Amino acid sequence: MATTELATLYNQLKTTFTSQPADLKACGELLAKLKVGLIQHGLLVPQGDVDLSDLAVAREILEIGAFWSIRTRDIPSFDRYFSQLQTYYNDYSSALPPSPREYPIRGLNLIRLLTQNRIADFHTTLESLPLPADSLASNPYISHPINLERWLMEGSYSKVWNAREEAPAEEYKFFVDSLMGTIRNEIASCEEAAYNSLPIKDAATLLFFRSQQEVLKYAQERGWQVDLTGATITFAKKGEEKSEIPKDKLITVNLQYARELEMIV
Amino acid sequence: MSDVTMKPADEKKKEDTKPEEEKKEEPKKEPPTVPQEIRSNALLIDRAVSTLEPRFTLRVLRTLAALRKRLNSKVLAEAIEGVYPSSSQVRQSLMTWLPTRDSEATMEIDTATAPQPTSTPSPPRQNIEPVPEVEIYLRLLIVYHLLSDKSTYSKAMELVQQTVQKMQALNRRSMDPIAAKVWYAVERAYELTGDLAEARPLFLAAQRTASLRHDDETQASLINRLLRNYLHYNLYDQADKLVLKTTFPVSAGNPQHARYHYFLGRIRAVQLNYSAAHANLQQAIRRAPPATTAPGFYQAVHKLSVVVELLMGDIPDRGIFRHAVLEKALTGYFEIVKAVRTGSLSQFQSTLSKHAAQFEADKTYTLIVRLRQNVIKTGIRRLSLSYSRISLRDICVKLHLDSEEDAEYIVGKAIRDGVIDGHISHERGWLECGAQKSGYGFEVSEVFMRRIQYCLELHNESVKAMRYPLNAHRKELDAAEAARQREQELLRQVGEDGGGSFDDEPGLGEGF
Repeated sequence: MATTELATLYNQLKTTFTSQPADLKACGELLAKLKVGLIQHGLLVPQGDVDLSDLAVAREILEIGAFWSIRTRDIPSFDRYFSQLQTYYNDYSSALPPSPREYPIRGLNLIRLLTQNRIADFHTTLESLPLPADSLASNPYISHPINLERWLMEGSYSKVWNAREEAPAEEYKFFVDSLMGTIRNEIASCEEAAYNSLPIKDAATLLFFRSQQEVLKYAQERGWQVDLTGATITFAKKGEEKSEIPKDKLITVNLQYARELEMIV
Repeated sequence: MSDVTMKPADEKKKEDTKPEEEKKEEPKKEPPTVPQEIRSNALLIDRAVSTLEPRFTLRVLRTLAALRKRLNSKVLAEAIEGVYPSSSQVRQSLMTWLPTRDSEATMEIDTATAPQPTSTPSPPRQNIEPVPEVEIYLRLLIVYHLLSDKSTYSKAMELVQQTVQKMQALNRRSMDPIAAKVWYAVERAYELTGDLAEARPLFLAAQRTASLRHDDETQASLINRLLRNYLHYNLYDQADKLVLKTTFPVSAGNPQHARYHYFLGRIRAVQLNYSAAHANLQQAIRRAPPATTAPGFYQAVHKLSVVVELLMGDIPDRGIFRHAVLEKALTGYFEIVKAVRTGSLSQFQSTLSKHAAQFEADKTYTLIVRLRQNVIKTGIRRLSLSYSRISLRDICVKLHLDSEEDAEYIVGKAIRDGVIDGHISHERGWLECGAQKSGYGFEVSEVFMRRIQYCLELHNESVKAMRYPLNAHRKELDAAEAARQREQELLRQVGEDGGGSFDDEPGLGEGF
């Protein structure tokens, strides 16, 4: 494939992607073709000496690809695009002009890790951001996931709920649903531990459900006892932990001590 | 062992260590002059190579840190002259590396005023070339000297690269301990010239070779170099992978172990694996040299370990904040600890912003930010201990939370996480605190068990680590042999005397 062809495809992709509403299917086809072209020019995984403007174009194609995969809700594909982009963001950061899409994409990656509950990876990624730690909060794309994580860890779930509309970029909203699912499960497990019983109406507000039906369905999923007449949910208490002395374990441990002591003496 | 680990101090925080070290240097009595010392070191290395006993080389390297501060071109030139015969090619090549600018002037004066140090020890100048290890050792010294001045960094770099090539071409096992030190110099050269990342491929290749050759010292040194390199650029992922793919040689020296554990602790802390991080940092503290020898390392480890302990929900010992070496360096951390202990969010926030620059420099800022939830948890815990029933409104006010709604979720989470015992009454809007758990149960025995396990392990390890000098029992055997002989002699004498007296006795008897 000639370079000119690649350039036309690239321009096509750009216009299709930015047009409102974007034709996602056409974008996908164009991306597939472009990726083949990039591989042929050795730009997908840049090696050796390559032209910097070519690299910038390749980066932009991959960035569009990343956004496209989120719009089509294809998370594994986003993952792939992101790892390809990492080369550009980390190794060529000094050579290439900074991309305006870099931080939105990095932020999206953070949110993705958050929704998949990969907190350790989230923090590792956060540490490796090329920003000084105290300026993280001033970058809207990064501070959003950071705040979300903090609220999740604290338990301020209502703040997470309220923040879902404040996403700094359109694509962030695609993660909201799965994030809400995660939160709901968290809240539910907290409620099970913290309450003996709860009126259905209050449970609905706590779990951010709009109607009683949704609550009832959810209660069924979690196996809660619903008392319809009193309109309350009763949580089955897990039986008090039996404080039994684990004899076997203690005996083996003591025997081991005896053996070791014998060796010392 | 104390001197080998001066390096971590230099590696980490120069400014902290400087004044103390200088102070320490002064009262020291002037031992043999530097050229003399280098010459005797060269002899020791020679001996190490010929007797295949790495102990001597290690002894030489132990003096490295102290020696390093007293180096200059004059003494180096003198030392090289002393070690190599004048016709030697190595001598000439080594000499070319020495910066000439100050040497010319001082050299002449020196020969005039102080001829005695060169002449007095004068070992019989043999015309044999010393072993190549000596050359590498001298190169190492020159590199250190070149690195002490900004203008010669590029020269140091050149020399370092040449030395590495030479080292790899020679491929001698007896050189390993020195090679490990050379790698440190390589790293330092790259760091000072500003492109630490460039050194990575070199280190990786050398690490591979070292592990193939079972060169433990070099391998340990290189793994640490690489880890430090990755962490310098915050590449925790890569560092973690390196740790996974390599095994740190068990036989490596304590200082290397201390560093390795410190790096591991950093990685684990970032990955939220606090208990592992804590264990590693403990190891690093235990393996590190005394605080006064390497204060920089000591401080760095303690900073991290304080944060990790807080993240684990423990409060660090008050004593460490009073430690002479740590007191000043840890002030910011001390205030954070106070804020966490009292569970006051506002105090925590103000402390965080006050010391932000310091935390940022220590690379602990993001870790400390994570403490926020711990502050809240401690706050809730304190409340639950002092009240049997408290309204959510009051919790909200006392902990400076934004809304009652938040408070309800937060308390709910605390109950689920087992921070407090109790339940919320939603209709009445209060938290009913449960009875406190008694401190006696199976958990206690488990903690006890862990401690005993640790002590036993320590004992076994120390038994394993005991060293017996070769052939030392021979001496004892000889002594025993001699004693036996003496005893027999004595017996014989006694026998003779006794015999004599027996002989005499009848005589005596006769006389009677």
